[in-house]
Amino acid sequence: MQLMSNKRKITGLLATATCSLLNQNAVAQEIPGWYVDTAVLGYTEKDRVDAVEPVINATRIFDDGAKLNVKFVLDSLTGASPNGATISDQIQTFTRPSGRGGYVTPAGELPLDDTFKDTRSALSANYEFSLNRLTRLSAGLAFSDEYDFTSIGFNSSVARDFNNKNTTLLLGFAYESDTITPEGGIPVRFGSVRLNPGRGPKWEDEEREREGGDEDKTVTDFLVGVTQVINQRMLMQLNYSFSSSDGYHTDPFKVLSVVDRTSGRPLDYLYENRPDSREKQSIYWKTKYSLINGNVLDLSYRYLWDDWDIVSHTVDARYLFDLTDRLYLEPHVRYYTQQEAEFFSHSLRSGDALPQYASADYRLGAFDGLTYGTKLGYRLSNRSEVSMRLEFYDQRGDTVGTPIGIQNNYDLFPNLDATIFQLSYSIRF
Amino acid sequence: MSEAIQRPTRLVRKGTLWVGQFEAMASPCEILMSLDAREVAEELLQLAASEAWRVEQKYSRYRDDGIVPRINHSNGQPVSVDPETAQLLDFAWQCYTLSEGLFDITSGILRKAWSFQAGAAVPNAEDIAALMPLIGLDKAHWQSPDLTLPAGMQIDFGGIGKEYAVDRTLAQLQQRADVPLLVNFGGDIACNRCPDPEQPWRIGIEAPSRQGEALEMVAVQSGALATSGSSYRYLLSEGRRYGHVLNPRTGWPVEEPPLSVTVAASTCTEAGMLATFAMLHGRDAEVFLEKQEVRYWLVR
Repeated sequence: MQLMSNKRKITGLLATATCSLLNQNAVAQEIPGWYVDTAVLGYTEKDRVDAVEPVINATRIFDDGAKLNVKFVLDSLTGASPNGATISDQIQTFTRPSGRGGYVTPAGELPLDDTFKDTRSALSANYEFSLNRLTRLSAGLAFSDEYDFTSIGFNSSVARDFNNKNTTLLLGFAYESDTITPEGGIPVRFGSVRLNPGRGPKWEDEEREREGGDEDKTVTDFLVGVTQVINQRMLMQLNYSFSSSDGYHTDPFKVLSVVDRTSGRPLDYLYENRPDSREKQSIYWKTKYSLINGNVLDLSYRYLWDDWDIVSHTVDARYLFDLTDRLYLEPHVRYYTQQEAEFFSHSLRSGDALPQYASADYRLGAFDGLTYGTKLGYRLSNRSEVSMRLEFYDQRGDTVGTPIGIQNNYDLFPNLDATIFQLSYSIRF
Repeated sequence: MSEAIQRPTRLVRKGTLWVGQFEAMASPCEILMSLDAREVAEELLQLAASEAWRVEQKYSRYRDDGIVPRINHSNGQPVSVDPETAQLLDFAWQCYTLSEGLFDITSGILRKAWSFQAGAAVPNAEDIAALMPLIGLDKAHWQSPDLTLPAGMQIDFGGIGKEYAVDRTLAQLQQRADVPLLVNFGGDIACNRCPDPEQPWRIGIEAPSRQGEALEMVAVQSGALATSGSSYRYLLSEGRRYGHVLNPRTGWPVEEPPLSVTVAASTCTEAGMLATFAMLHGRDAEVFLEKQEVRYWLVR
């Protein structure tokens, strides 16, 4: 009955072993059951678009750790959206994109298409499971449908743990196919927009404005990511993604003004034209830090660039802290800044040769956006919680190029203010 | 899966604390919570009880549908285990290595030869020798998540389960409400922080010979305590005392184990392992503990 003779110090190794036993379970392993989030989001742009968006997001976590997620979103948009035409000191009359009816923009105002109205429904499902103790696979399908747009996609990823589960490597792939079927057909690129439907040009001319009924686009995404546990309180993530899309990128509802080269007044309106492909790349870095008192700080930064010459930076910070046992507050600040696409232009000048591509869509222009607000949450029990979120968005655009004539009197890229309000209820059972 | 365990729970107010009580893993369990809202205390108590019962149910040797009986009846075939069990097996493997075979989750089969019930006899050497080929975690093949246990061998998580449940419960409660908490499952204890630095948690370590009487009051700000004891069960034969702490490397009781060892560490699992290892070192328990540079209380 010889007892072991080697009584070395083992506390260090034992602490490491205990740490990996307890950490994984306490943090990473979720309790099996159903997790259901329901939310309604309201989005209001001053004088422009209003959106109401109910969301249901249900996740089932099985006893073996596998996860099934189903999400349904209904998006209802109404209101007015800039049509791309530039501001004038005269009244401007436009045809609706559908070719039916028109609208009038008063002098000195940014032309907005006030018939913007759509309902989008989106359904997605994703299943994630462990192939073995270190490898997780996931696969998903997504479907989205609105009046003139349909999208279907699938995605798949593999995550593998290394280094005692402190490092996770993620490889992801996604494919999406979109079809757009605008009412009235696809406009001819750089085709002239009719001003007085039914009264002006003959129907043969009208026919020539449209070149087909629908157009397609496919998007392929690849992602490589590393998540690293820095210590018990800190987690860091670094992703690189590459996205390549082919097909129809033009917005069939957006136009460009052709302005007089000296007065700056609009002479004609042309449908816009964008390249048939786009390659985007981005680097995303995120850190999550849990403070000793249980508060959580989330910081992230994204750098995105594409072959349209758009370059953007996004900085996002959230800080969750408890006010009482049940009540918590999560302030949020996000700053976005973007450099314009190479072919972005507020308007075209008469007499100039048409460029290969051009768009006056403000989303392709140079602008900064600041989002700020807070979420207030109340834990009803350890299984359910209600929260509301109120955020404000300020967007400031830069005028690109040199304004001509009357354009000097106006802000060609007016500010956009929006309010976001969300009400959510989450429950686990 | 069989019906989840449901037993009564009790919540009482003691001074500025809520005290929740229930039974799990054959032990009285207690949660001390420094907070005011009764409904939060009740919720934490339910959370603690369900976690303790979940671990008890999942790792019981006696529930036919559990993972442990499935492994023990696998008859030499590989069994694929869930992630939580895989982590426990990883941990058990590391403890086996660290203790150089003294802590072994396959040693439970010695119960076939050794009984410490009143009137039981000391087994003969042949019976013990016959069991020895079935002991030794190194005889199993563990390639996570697949465990292949040679036919006839058995494992159990009895030596880890309770301390593990204490740590997990504390982590879950703390995630739900970040208030001063103490979790005590039958003397295995972990706490996050004390209600007031001036007033640390005071934990009495029981004197093994006089049940219920505190041997020493220990002040704890945060961290864990676990106790391993050989106190009440032993056989006497021809003037020789045979304790119930068995050495898996010999199949015989450890010689001169302390009556009780309590160790303080940052987690209950760690404290429990150190106390168990110390017990298995028998007469050298103090030497082992001194080497570990931990706070401990030992009774001979």
